[in-house]
Amino acid sequence: MSAVIETSELGKRYRRKWALTDCTLSVPAGHVVGLVGPNGAGKTTLLNLAVGLLRPDAGTIKVLDGTPAAGQAQLARVGFLAQDAPVYAGLSVADHLKLGARLNPAWDVKLAYRRVDRLDLDHGQKAGALSGGQRAQLALTLAVAKRPDLLVLDEPVASLDPLARREFLQDLMEAVAEQELSVVLSSHLVADLERVCDYLIVLVGSRVRVAGPVDELLATHHLLSGPRRDPDTLPDGLDVISASHTDVQTTLLARTSGPVLDPAWTISEVGLEDLVLAYMSQAAGRRRRDNHHHLEVQK
Amino acid sequence: MIEFHLDARSGVAPYRQLIHQVRQALRLGMLREGDQLPKVKDVVAGLAINPNTVLKAYRELEYEGLVAARPGVGTFVTGTLNGGPLTAHGPLRRDLQRWLAKARRAGLDDESIEALFASTFRSASEEDIA
Amino acid sequence: MIWLTWRQFRVQAVTAAAALAAFAILLAATGPHLASLYATSKITSCHGFGCEPAANAFFGRLAGLDTVVYLLGIGLILVTPAIIGIFWGAPLIARELETRTFNLAWTQSITRTQWLAVKLALTGLVAMAVTEALSLIYAWWADPISNAISLGVGSPQLFSQGRFSAVIFATHGITPLGYAVFAFTLATAVGAVTRRILPAMAITLAIFAAVQLAMPLWIRPHLAPPSHTTAGIASADLAYGTLTADVVPGHPEAWILSSHALNSAGQPVTTIPAACNNPSADGQKGGTSPTTPAQCMQSRGYREAISYLPTSRYWPLQWIETGIFMALALALAWFSFWRLSRRRA
Repeated sequence: MSAVIETSELGKRYRRKWALTDCTLSVPAGHVVGLVGPNGAGKTTLLNLAVGLLRPDAGTIKVLDGTPAAGQAQLARVGFLAQDAPVYAGLSVADHLKLGARLNPAWDVKLAYRRVDRLDLDHGQKAGALSGGQRAQLALTLAVAKRPDLLVLDEPVASLDPLARREFLQDLMEAVAEQELSVVLSSHLVADLERVCDYLIVLVGSRVRVAGPVDELLATHHLLSGPRRDPDTLPDGLDVISASHTDVQTTLLARTSGPVLDPAWTISEVGLEDLVLAYMSQAAGRRRRDNHHHLEVQK
Repeated sequence: MIEFHLDARSGVAPYRQLIHQVRQALRLGMLREGDQLPKVKDVVAGLAINPNTVLKAYRELEYEGLVAARPGVGTFVTGTLNGGPLTAHGPLRRDLQRWLAKARRAGLDDESIEALFASTFRSASEEDIA
Repeated sequence: MIWLTWRQFRVQAVTAAAALAAFAILLAATGPHLASLYATSKITSCHGFGCEPAANAFFGRLAGLDTVVYLLGIGLILVTPAIIGIFWGAPLIARELETRTFNLAWTQSITRTQWLAVKLALTGLVAMAVTEALSLIYAWWADPISNAISLGVGSPQLFSQGRFSAVIFATHGITPLGYAVFAFTLATAVGAVTRRILPAMAITLAIFAAVQLAMPLWIRPHLAPPSHTTAGIASADLAYGTLTADVVPGHPEAWILSSHALNSAGQPVTTIPAACNNPSADGQKGGTSPTTPAQCMQSRGYREAISYLPTSRYWPLQWIETGIFMALALALAWFSFWRLSRRRA
């Protein structure tokens, strides 16, 4: 198995609106995969489909070569941490660990207690009284101590303060190194993902815009700036993601399949955040054009 | 055991920074032959970075012949940098101290000294390449 | 999963046990007194027509507390299925959905089907056990009163409710068990649809109340084949000026499903014949003429045709009705499973 998540034209609909459309991915194992996109783009939908909390309305999805939530064995191989780390408010920390032990055959009880003790969590404290960061850590413990092959996290640090955020990511990376986990985590902020992810999926407006190893994406996307150009006279081999023009200058963020030989262009590297923003604005632009076209046709 | 740090805004890729820090540690004598590099899991637990980043850095160091990985145990320093650790260069250090004293007597402040050194170093390197 | 079900259910179970224990203590405190009243009454040695007055005498000697406990027991058994339903069933699925803990529960190493199966089975079993325990201890306590009622139906209004009456039928025997399981699975299923606890409670209550009203009125009368008989027109038949029977001779606690008068030719009539409407006129003639409308009709060959269920059909009817509710409960449980498996967030 080389792909942890394999989808083919995956789609999910809520009443009349498609939350995820035409999603085709082959996510390799052994990576920390970042799923980034604005709120409402479909990230939670995709992750819920991966762990079997939702069923597809179109296309297929295979996780670790199996159907999500198809049976005990499949469920045991995937750990999940939902948004805002829901826990049972009335159950104590120790109760939660017992829950994990009773409901998971591969539960590593030593690992679970080691983590909880290192986090200084009071075993008897009700989970409802924990801070946001502690709740997230408890939920992470539950997900990690069941020894999954894949860990799926939905916006795990979105509501955490900077210290809790850093500690969470430190713990997560340690678990990845120790257990050789594959991880898929989503965020609407690139900054959260930049340090830890080596594979990126950009999801905007229910569609996948770009996906690939971070190194490869950074190597193939460049910022080109030069004298003002007519949009139709751009060199070949350039997949322009976003463009901006002043009266004298044109700046492009483009995906290059080969070297750009035109000396008029100044080529510089692109940071991950700018890359993602470019794809987001491309999607917004397309939607605006579609709406505009729609309005014109209506006339 | 050395400890890594990361400058997220330096524009230098994280794995390159790690490599640089190992080489620097070798130069300064903080790492000697036979010493163990920090375990991958400890590095990522401290820096919150991807383990593959650390593995990539260690692999490149291994390719350069500076370290060797012993499966199940860790990664250990095996080689030395060209020129050996800085502590072995007593005469060079004394020459440099004398030059610095001369530069100060000539009235140069810290920034001027750095600029003078940097520009001379660069032009000398270019001459070497050419 | 058994541990988790228990851990989440702890408070409700303990509350139910405490309530049951409190009621049991009350019954234990008043039971012996009631039993001795019964033992010393003339009911134990009566036979034939002497039993009805003996029963009435027994009722007259009941203390106020006995009556209160009698009514309390009936009330408790009437509401217990509904309470179990809405407090145990409504949150079963709805709470996990409302608090979003399903994200945790359904991504452990058990399937949703297993999760629901254990929760339904365990909680359902406890619901049945609690209801049955309540029903049994009450039946033990109220045994003297039930026996007396079966002898002399028609005395103080409160104790004229025989075993087939709507309230008594629903609170004795095994029907409470069926209601409890039905209410529980109904609430669970509604909770799966509404995804919120409070609306689930309200809707379940409404549906359950409607079913409990519809059952004795429209469904129960048709669940068992009735017996038929003809009897003489008794004075009681003419209560309220109608010609329906109140009592089946020889079957004191029978359930009268329908009755009407027949004239001497066997045709049904619904009104008192004109000739029998003025009893005083007949009486004035003196002699052996009949004096009441009933006797008048009787002498003219009028009979009462009665369709009824004798007490021998009590237990078959109990089983049939309980069976219906169990079948409904199974269907509702199946619906909950189906609803969960095709969940769309």
